[in-house]
Amino acid sequence: MESWLLIIRNVHDETILYEQLNQALQEIRKLNASLEQKVKDRTRELEATNRELEAFAYSVSHDLRAPLRGIDGFSLALLEKYGDQLDHKGKDYLNRIRAATRKMGSLIDDILSLSRIATASLQKKPVDITVMSRDIFQSLREKEPERAAEMHISDDVKVTGDPGLLRVAMQNLIDNAWKFSSQQDVIRIDIARERNGSETRIAIRDNGVGFNMKYYNKLFTMFQRLHSGREFPGTGIGLATVQRIVNRHSGRLWAESEVGKGSAFYMVLPDHTETSQE
Amino acid sequence: MNKKKHILLVEDNRDDVDLTIMALEKCDIVNEVKVARDGDEALSMLYDTEEEPELPVLVLLDINMPKINGFEVLKEIRGNERTRRLPVVILTSSREVQDIHRGYDLGANSYIRKPVGFESFVEAVRNLGRYWLKWNESPV
Ligand SMILES: Nc1ncnc2c1ncn2[C@@H]1O[C@H](COP(=O)(O)OP(=O)(O)O)[C@@H](O)[C@H]1O
Ligand SMILES: [Mg+2]
Repeated sequence: MESWLLIIRNVHDETILYEQLNQALQEIRKLNASLEQKVKDRTRELEATNRELEAFAYSVSHDLRAPLRGIDGFSLALLEKYGDQLDHKGKDYLNRIRAATRKMGSLIDDILSLSRIATASLQKKPVDITVMSRDIFQSLREKEPERAAEMHISDDVKVTGDPGLLRVAMQNLIDNAWKFSSQQDVIRIDIARERNGSETRIAIRDNGVGFNMKYYNKLFTMFQRLHSGREFPGTGIGLATVQRIVNRHSGRLWAESEVGKGSAFYMVLPDHTETSQE
Repeated sequence: MNKKKHILLVEDNRDDVDLTIMALEKCDIVNEVKVARDGDEALSMLYDTEEEPELPVLVLLDINMPKINGFEVLKEIRGNERTRRLPVVILTSSREVQDIHRGYDLGANSYIRKPVGFESFVEAVRNLGRYWLKWNESPV
């Protein structure tokens, strides 16, 4: 009798245990389902925001440019058709209006390309930085043929990443190297692939004016510049753009410099093909 | 023939109308310029008359216009037997690739992004004139 009771009791306990387990399982399934729903909702929200951002950028590119064109064009018309009725100062004011207009035009272009980077989809492919850099350097040469410039690029700078975005990044870094070296007799730009421990980095070095490391924390911030616009014109959006591109590749970007001694910018892009071999 | 054929400029923004005419003058392009202030007006200037209206030698077409936009006008032009070979150059402030592609897909002959700087705009118009107006009868 005793042992019978025990068995019945055990069976009873097991049933309870089984029910509890079942309940927990159902609970987990429900949670899972609601999590999936949440992810779906969030994704949809993000996609909507992305679309809105794109629409915004689009209208900026249309609608902000049009009035600027008017300001520039009619200022020039005033200068050309009524210039003889203006004194030197009057003409100077008009020219300043035109310069400010063009500056705003390039600001709009730069902000737009920055916003595109946030929304662009990333396509990872093998990218030949060597060829790309030669190309960029060539067009800088053509733009300013009177400048003496040397560029050394090692042959082996190859990475995996988005070709379009990496071109924007290299363009900005090489533009800067060129611009901030423009006071030297000969511009020197070196681009190399360097091993540092297990990491492979791309180094872009120039022999330009450099910058003060005291202000390093402003270097990659939008609209921040460490040199005056009178000496070196610019919008201060370039390095913020490069930073964003590198972030989107889950990479790292940093710089070293000393006033008067040139600058070095470093970029590490995780290369999946390479790490899997090691 | 004494008179050059006209250019049809389809543009809703008055400033852009004047700027484009100024740019054409600067390039010594002396064709008469007829202006349509939106897509609707452009279509009636091309099609809506008793006798068939004289066709322009070139259409300069803005994209962003109220009511009927430039793409729709272009589609209409390409879909009509009489106008389907008409040279159409898209003029717009957009530089979105999707706009450029769409324009070409619909049969635009060329595409000019209206730049902020007026001189670059004049340069673009000059190239355009060189290409699209060179077979025109010269004025006597
Ligand atoms: N190669 C360089 N040498 C010296 N200073 C640099 C270099 N690259 C960037 N900088 C500094 O960083 C600032 C931000 O760069 P960037 O965002 O590209 O703006 P911009 O080129 O429009 O001035 C520059 O204004 C400059 O002060
Ligand atoms: Mg820059």
